[in-house]
Amino acid sequence: MKKITPDEFQIIIKYIHDISGIFLDQSKAYLLETRLESLVKENGCSSYSDLYRKAKADASKVIERKIIDAISTNETLFFRDSSPFDVLQHKIIPDLIDLRTAKSPFLPPQIRIWSAACSTGQEVYSIAIVLKELLTDLKKYNLKLLGTDISDAAIAQASYGSYNKFEIERGLQADKLSQHFSRNGDNWKIKDDIRAIVSFRKLNLLLPLNGLGKFDIVFCRNVAIYFTIEDRKKLFNKIADILEPGGYLIIGSTESLTDICPRFEPKRYIKSIFYQLKE
Amino acid sequence: MKDLKILVVDDDPITLLLLEKRLKAEEYEIKTARNGTEAFDLISNNHYDVILTDLKMPGGMDGIGVLEATKAKNSRTEVILITAYASVDNAVAAIQKGAVDYLQKPINFDELMLRLQRIKNMKKLVKDADDLREAMDITEFNAGQTIQNLELTVAQLQSQLSEVENVLSQKGIDSSERVRLALDRLVAV
Ligand SMILES: C[S@@+](CC[C@H](N)C(=O)[O-])C[C@H]1O[C@@H](n2cnc3c(N)ncnc32)[C@H](O)[C@@H]1O
Repeated sequence: MKKITPDEFQIIIKYIHDISGIFLDQSKAYLLETRLESLVKENGCSSYSDLYRKAKADASKVIERKIIDAISTNETLFFRDSSPFDVLQHKIIPDLIDLRTAKSPFLPPQIRIWSAACSTGQEVYSIAIVLKELLTDLKKYNLKLLGTDISDAAIAQASYGSYNKFEIERGLQADKLSQHFSRNGDNWKIKDDIRAIVSFRKLNLLLPLNGLGKFDIVFCRNVAIYFTIEDRKKLFNKIADILEPGGYLIIGSTESLTDICPRFEPKRYIKSIFYQLKE
Repeated sequence: MKDLKILVVDDDPITLLLLEKRLKAEEYEIKTARNGTEAFDLISNNHYDVILTDLKMPGGMDGIGVLEATKAKNSRTEVILITAYASVDNAVAAIQKGAVDYLQKPINFDELMLRLQRIKNMKKLVKDADDLREAMDITEFNAGQTIQNLELTVAQLQSQLSEVENVLSQKGIDSSERVRLALDRLVAV
């Protein structure tokens, strides 16, 4: 494998941090090598710094996008950690619907949910499956479910909604699989009624979150772990800004907001915790 | 990892015997069935890594039937179809239903061995990935419990401390009284 020199490493981690917020320290040199080597070859580059120069010079940003796809860890599964989905089903959604119906009894209750780094879509579809099973007739509600990610490749798969047998095996119970997916060879595709309530778009969480609108619930799981503390603080503050008062935030099971964003209050529901924006 | 466990299905006894001999020589674990129905019973009650089945067989269940039954039982079992007349349409239909491969008679054994070797390597990789995930899940679960408990404890202590701070900074109250109230707040939980 092509070796990366210490100088090249410094240039490239700075570049990756600038374009994605992903922060790599010296111990991750091997990671750059395994993940970028094929891009070096593919683009006819003589070295990693050559790849960096080409990426910077490329106005179409094709190489930049490929670097992001290669460097981002898209590891995800259906119903990851399971407990956030229990909280959603038994606590958050029922509370929100009560709140909305009390306020405007004649309007279909509105619920807006955002999965901030949705990777290949498993998180979004898990949320959608919870909604479908809980609310049955989705037309009676005003639902908006948005999935975003910085990786084009991840968003493309999420939007297509098709998973291979290994992805399907992870986290999805047999009854949910047969009810909400249809088989196509070795792959399974999410059914149209679920796909219809979901939308996807590409979004870099480091940039201002303009134009997204307001949300009642935000899932931001297992992405801030790749950022510096400073970037985490900024991110969770921006999320607090676009949440409705009292809005809900779910973070990854091994993440913490202590000293990151005091605007959220951790709350326990049975076995797991969620965060609520302080009013 | 153990070698592959293979079920061979063919209504032609000579092909069956030949396959059994060759595969046993490679130290694969072999079971045979002479038709789809027999195969179906075996698949329902046993686990196989690979099913090698003829496409056309008399009786109620042909190769596609065997393929479907296999995939319904365990989608990780790989199915290789064997046929006398290769046709693109058949091949596409079989692959769509989840077959990994499609071989033409007379069977080229070198080719078959290569494909089996490939499946074996693949299984090994999948097992390694499964093991890693399992280890990661356990670590993540335990770490998650610890972190979430700490998160709640810290939040509680922080709010308690800010109450204490409030009490202590109330200018209107006598200082020993302030200390007493602050101590009350501290033991409250
Ligand atoms: C490990 S996955 C988490 C997926 C899912 N939320 C879960 O918990 O299973 C992390 C995702 O964050 C995305 N990501 C990394 N940096 C990002 C950024 N600056 N903006 C948006 N998404 C980013 C990656 O592309 C990747 O798909």
